[in-house]
Amino acid sequence: MNSVVRIVWICGITCNGNTHSFLNHPALEYLLAKIHFIHHPVLPSPLSLQEVVSTLPESDILIFEGAYRPDFERAGMAMEDLFTGLADKTGMIIALGSCASFGGMMKQCRPEEISGIAFDRETPTPLLKRYREKMVVLSGCPIHPEWLAFVLQMAANGTPMPLDTWYRPQALYAYLVHQGCLRGEYFEWKVDAHDFGRKEGCLFYVQGCQGPMTHASCNKILWNTVSSKTRAGMPCIGCTEPTFPKERLFSTQTYMSIPAEMPLGIPKRSYLALAGAAKSFRIKRLEERMMDDHA
Amino acid sequence: MITHELIERIEGEARIDFQCDRHGGVEDAIIRFEHFRGMERVLEGRDPLDALVITPRVCGICGHSHLMAAVRALESGLRNAGVCVELSSKAVALRALTLASELLQNHIKWVYLVLGYQCAKMEGKGAISPLRGLEIASKANTLSALFSGQWPHSSYALPGGVTCDPTRLEIIHAHRLLDEIERFAHTQLWNGEVEHFGCEDLSLYSGDVGTMIGVLERLELSNKGIAHGRYLVAGEDGFSASGWYEKGERRCVDSALIQEDDRHTFMRGGKTYAKNALYDGEFCETGPLARAIVSNRSGIENLIRDYGEGVLSRVGARLGEIGVLIREIRHRLDTIDLAEPSYISPQRAGSYEGIGIVEAPRGSLIHKVRVREGKIERYEIITPTQWNLGIGSAATPSVAQQAMRGSQSISHAELIFRTFDVCSVCTTH
Repeated sequence: MNSVVRIVWICGITCNGNTHSFLNHPALEYLLAKIHFIHHPVLPSPLSLQEVVSTLPESDILIFEGAYRPDFERAGMAMEDLFTGLADKTGMIIALGSCASFGGMMKQCRPEEISGIAFDRETPTPLLKRYREKMVVLSGCPIHPEWLAFVLQMAANGTPMPLDTWYRPQALYAYLVHQGCLRGEYFEWKVDAHDFGRKEGCLFYVQGCQGPMTHASCNKILWNTVSSKTRAGMPCIGCTEPTFPKERLFSTQTYMSIPAEMPLGIPKRSYLALAGAAKSFRIKRLEERMMDDHA
Repeated sequence: MITHELIERIEGEARIDFQCDRHGGVEDAIIRFEHFRGMERVLEGRDPLDALVITPRVCGICGHSHLMAAVRALESGLRNAGVCVELSSKAVALRALTLASELLQNHIKWVYLVLGYQCAKMEGKGAISPLRGLEIASKANTLSALFSGQWPHSSYALPGGVTCDPTRLEIIHAHRLLDEIERFAHTQLWNGEVEHFGCEDLSLYSGDVGTMIGVLERLELSNKGIAHGRYLVAGEDGFSASGWYEKGERRCVDSALIQEDDRHTFMRGGKTYAKNALYDGEFCETGPLARAIVSNRSGIENLIRDYGEGVLSRVGARLGEIGVLIREIRHRLDTIDLAEPSYISPQRAGSYEGIGIVEAPRGSLIHKVRVREGKIERYEIITPTQWNLGIGSAATPSVAQQAMRGSQSISHAELIFRTFDVCSVCTTH
């Protein structure tokens, strides 16, 4: 690829959350020296959306943020024509955010007509079939700015990226949100968080945390460089997965008082055996508060 | 002659149909937002708490305000059902400071991505780089994330409090970030005391803002863009009092007088346009200028004396609010009592109706919820842009429509339009 990567960033049906998440990147200046936005929804760029629509410029990377509906118009052009017109003339397509990846939140508005550009929930779209070789999926609602920066720098260097079955870079999505969670020890010893608003306890048993089933490096690459949902006491809502958003996001669905969904790849029998053993102990340290109130 | 313009870089786009005289002067300007998404309907049938995850995703730049409106709507509903919802002063403080952080990042981004860009374009010069502003805006987001876990799209506030349980470590880190933001405002943004912004002649300010104000003055836009002179602040937040104001008269806000109006909202060619928001049947301006006037913030009298209720007063009120927000966050960090509980679990209730009002970056944001037997039956969202940028008629123009009338050219009208800090995605939820 060229030394400076030329990018067109366009939006489908979106909240612009990925745009604003990317603006949080602490090394934005460094990145902007390596990449060139031919069009970006809010950053200064040479072509307006109107000009993108009328010229359909060639690019190295096409970033598509938001969900897709073929007849949804931007600047007077149907998304089907705008997307394919730009996709035919680009080297790589990034489905940015869960709406572009799977349909995500915006698909909920009109489920029968709206999808991602790569998948419709879990089903590959015709666009994925057509542009399979070019597609990279970055799911998340929103994406972490470092995830996008990683892909852009890899593309700029021309380094191949191994992808998972959802076309996501393995380096970012092989981890589960559970890995690196500060509440991990409470999970191991089956100590649940009795309520919201405390450092202590695991949020998987009652509060609906999907961390053990969700592929994302939120607890490896911290949000805004300092935190994550689980570190702020909020259950993971599984926003990087094709099933996002599920229902009843702040409570764990149970079956005979066992979480209905098991941690990824863990057979129920194994889970029950370990849970039974762990729960037979009462570990004083894990039942107590970790530090003084004023600490 | 009618000219159709596509206005970009407003979290999406809007179309404005300008009706101009033969000299290019703007006689009227009809605003249209397309792209209706239907997010309120997504909530129907869901668990009430799901609103805390879904509604922030209405908007990528003010999602935290939507979270606060949603949690207040649910809390008001529970109270209406007779449930005692207790909030610790710690939870109140944390919510206040993460909300204020969101406004702060929004206003800084507006200065660099909208005002700076547009001023440079109108003068045919290169824009001031937005990078330093974006870096500082991201520090405001980091400040929020210390408590809310992430920005954008946190859902850390629940009826009864917040989910986080911070230590002194986060408080000290937040202080450091706030000091950096304040230093930036003081030295680079307007090069003057943060405390006193707007209390003296705006042309005395240097810094990036001084450059931009200079452009507005050279273009003779300072006192243009006057709307109806009728203001509404429906929310009550630490940095702003609620109230209604017109020509020196002040009234308390009665939320029963807030209504959505779809008389001028229509479907054309399969596109649905946004509904208007009215107070007591009238268009009112909402946002930082309204907040400055209703709260009678220091400096606002001078701004209005010098520029009327026009472009520079609207811009100056937004800039001055940066100082107000910094003081609000500092006050919350200084007075927070970490020993209090973050969350006090409220009782559940099966059926209720509630309303949540928040002062979001662009003005009053309202969520209304009706819950039946534990499920959301109806959810309504009124966004600030629906107040300011409605579709009016010739006889009853909307706020921005009135402000754009009489502009000497379409490009002047476009700048006036942008002084309202337009957000397309919020409008078309």
